[in-house]
Amino acid sequence: MLKNLRLLALLVIVVIGMSVPVMAQEAELPPLDSDTEPDRTEWWQLEEQFGPVPTFEEKVRVGAVAKTLINEYWRLLGEGYQNAADNFGVDVILQAAQNEADQLGQLAIAEAMLTLNFNILLVSPQSDANLIPAVDRAQELGIPVVNVNDAVISTARHYVGNVQRDNGVRAARWFIENFPDGGKVAVIEGQAGVYAAGQRTEGYTTTITTESDKFEVVASVPGNWDRQLAFDTAATILQQHPDLIGFYCNNDTMALGVVEAVKAANLLEQVAVIGTDGISDAYASILAGELRGTIDSFPVLTGEVALEVALRLLGGQALPRVVSTPQALITLDNYDRYYGEGADTRAALIEDAKMAMK
Amino acid sequence: MELQTTQNQTSTRIRSVNVREYIRNAGTLIGLIVIFIFFSTQSPVFLTEANLINILQQSAINACIALGMTLVIISGGIDLSVGPTAATAAVFTATLMFTGTPVLPAVAVGFLIGVACGLINGLLIAKAKLQPFIVTLGTLSLYRSIALIYTGGNPILSVPPDFRAFFNGRMGNLPVPVIIVGVVAVIAWILLRRTPLGEYMLAVGGNEEAARISGVPVALTKISAYVISGFLASLAALILVGRLGAAEPILGNLWELDAIAAAAIGGASLMGGKGSIIGTLLGAIILGAMRNGLTLMNVQAFYQLLATGLIIILAMLVDRLTRGSN
Repeated sequence: MLKNLRLLALLVIVVIGMSVPVMAQEAELPPLDSDTEPDRTEWWQLEEQFGPVPTFEEKVRVGAVAKTLINEYWRLLGEGYQNAADNFGVDVILQAAQNEADQLGQLAIAEAMLTLNFNILLVSPQSDANLIPAVDRAQELGIPVVNVNDAVISTARHYVGNVQRDNGVRAARWFIENFPDGGKVAVIEGQAGVYAAGQRTEGYTTTITTESDKFEVVASVPGNWDRQLAFDTAATILQQHPDLIGFYCNNDTMALGVVEAVKAANLLEQVAVIGTDGISDAYASILAGELRGTIDSFPVLTGEVALEVALRLLGGQALPRVVSTPQALITLDNYDRYYGEGADTRAALIEDAKMAMK
Repeated sequence: MELQTTQNQTSTRIRSVNVREYIRNAGTLIGLIVIFIFFSTQSPVFLTEANLINILQQSAINACIALGMTLVIISGGIDLSVGPTAATAAVFTATLMFTGTPVLPAVAVGFLIGVACGLINGLLIAKAKLQPFIVTLGTLSLYRSIALIYTGGNPILSVPPDFRAFFNGRMGNLPVPVIIVGVVAVIAWILLRRTPLGEYMLAVGGNEEAARISGVPVALTKISAYVISGFLASLAALILVGRLGAAEPILGNLWELDAIAAAAIGGASLMGGKGSIIGTLLGAIILGAMRNGLTLMNVQAFYQLLATGLIIILAMLVDRLTRGSN
C-alpha cells in the first residue's frame, strides 16, 4: 500500500516535472498560419478521434466575441453557438462590435468580458492584431481562448475555421470545369491586408493559371467587402474587358454588387459570378438564376463545431491546434443536396469529405 | 494703448469663460457619476478596481487623441486625419524597430511623422486658407494611403518586447498609458490656461478677425494646434502598438469621430473658442465607461451606439440650457 503511494507520488512528480517544459514550449508556439499549420484535424473526425463531448457537473459559461452583427455571416455563426449551447446544456453570451472596422471597440468588449469569469472564450477578431492584449490576459488568467474564423491571431493556441486558400481553389476549379474554352476572368478582393482575402485570391489565381492554360486573370482589385465599391469596380472592369467570362469575389456582399453591375451591362448570360460565404441574399440570387454560385463555409455549422471544440478543450482533451471546418461550392445544380427539403447538411458534408480523402 | 485695452478685454472674457467652464465641467462630472451609479447597480463587477482600471486603460487612447482635437476645435478648426496620422506613425515606427533600429530613434521618427502630418494640415489651413474640414478630409485619405502603400496592406507583427513591456507596464496600480495621458492632459491644461498660446487659441477660435486686429499671430496659432494634434495622434499610435504588439495600416479607423464625441460631451463647441481639457477627459471616460458597462450588462453593440448618440445629444442640450438663450 505504502509502496503504491510512493509510486504514485513519484509518478505525480514526474508528470509535473514533464509538464513544466511542455508549458514552456507552449508559450513559444510558432506564429499560427491556420491554412498550413500541420497540427490539425477535420471537424467531422473529432468524435472518432477524441470520443464524446465531455459533460460537466457545474454549469459551463462560454463567452463569445464576434466581429459584428451587421454582417449576416456572424449572426449565423452566433446561431450555431446557441444551437450547440442548447444541445450541450451550457450558457453562451455573444457580444460583437458595432461594425467591421471598430477594432478598439471590439478589444474593449473582449476586455470587459474577461472580468465576467467565463470558463472559455471564443473570439473572431477584426484584424490579426486587435485582440492580442485580451487574449494574452485570458491566458494569464488561465481562460482558454479559441480563435474562430477568419482573422488569425498569431499567438492563438486553438483555431477553428476553414482553409481560406481552398476557397479560391474551389472557385478556380469550377471555372475550369464549366468553361472548357477558358477566357478572361477577374477577382474582386476583400480588404487589403486581411489574411482570408489574401489566401482566397492567391488560391484562385494560382489554381486557374496553373491547372489550365486557357484563363487569363485580367484584374484583381480590392472591393473592401463593400457592395457599392464592388459594383463600381466591376462596372469599370466590364467596360475595359467586354469579353470577360467571370468574376470571383472574396465575399457574397461584393458578389451581389458585381451581379448588379453585370446585369446593368446586360451580360448576365456571358459573365458568371461566384461569391463566398453563403449568406441568404446570395441564395436568393442563386435561386433567381443571377449569382452563379457561392463557396459556402457553413457559418451555423462552424459555430456549432467551435462550441464543441471549446467544451472538449475545457474537458481536457488534447485537440490539435487547428480544427478545420467545411466549405462547398453551391450552385443551382447541387443546392438541394445541402439545403433542399429534408436535406441533411452535416451528412452531405461528411460524405464530401470522405470522398475527397479517397 | 489700444492693444492694451483689447488685451484687458480679452482677459476679462477669458475669466468669465473660466467660471462658465467650471459649471460646465461640474455638469459633465455629474453625468459621469450618474452613469457610474447606474452601472454599479446593474453589474457587481463594474466598480471593482480591475474594471475601473480597464475603463481608464480603454479610454486612454481616445482621450489622447481627443485632447489634441480639443485644442484644434478651440482654435476654430477640426482634424479628421488623426486616425490615418496614427496609422502612418505606427507602421513606420514598427518597421524601423523590426529592421533593427533601436527603440528610441524609431519612436522619435514616429513622433516626427505625427508632427509632419499636423504641420501639413496646419500649413494648408492657415497659409493656403483652405477649409479645415476639407483639408483634413483630404489628408485622411492621403495619410491612410501612405500607411497602406508602405506596408502593402500587411500588419507588422514583430515589435520588440521591451517596447511592449514599457507600454503594458504599470506604475503603482495604474497602467503606463493612463499615466502618459494624464501627464499630457496636465500639460495641455497648462498650455491652454497659463500660456499666451492658449489664450491665442481661444481668441482665434472665438473671433478670428478680432484676434488678428489685436495682434494675435493667427496662422502660427492654428498651425500649432494641428501640430499638437498630429503629435498626440502619433503618441496614441505608439501606445496602441505597445498594447497590441503589432502595427496595422488600418489602425485608427474612425478615431476622429470618437475624439470629437469626447470633446463635444466635454463642452467643446465646433464653432471654436470654447472647450475644456478636463471636460474632454471626462467625456472620454464617459464613452469608455458606457461601452464597458453596457458590455457587462450584455447589451448588444447596436444599443451601445444608441446610448452613445443619446449621451452626445443630451450633453449638447444641457450645454444649451445652462448657457441661456444667447
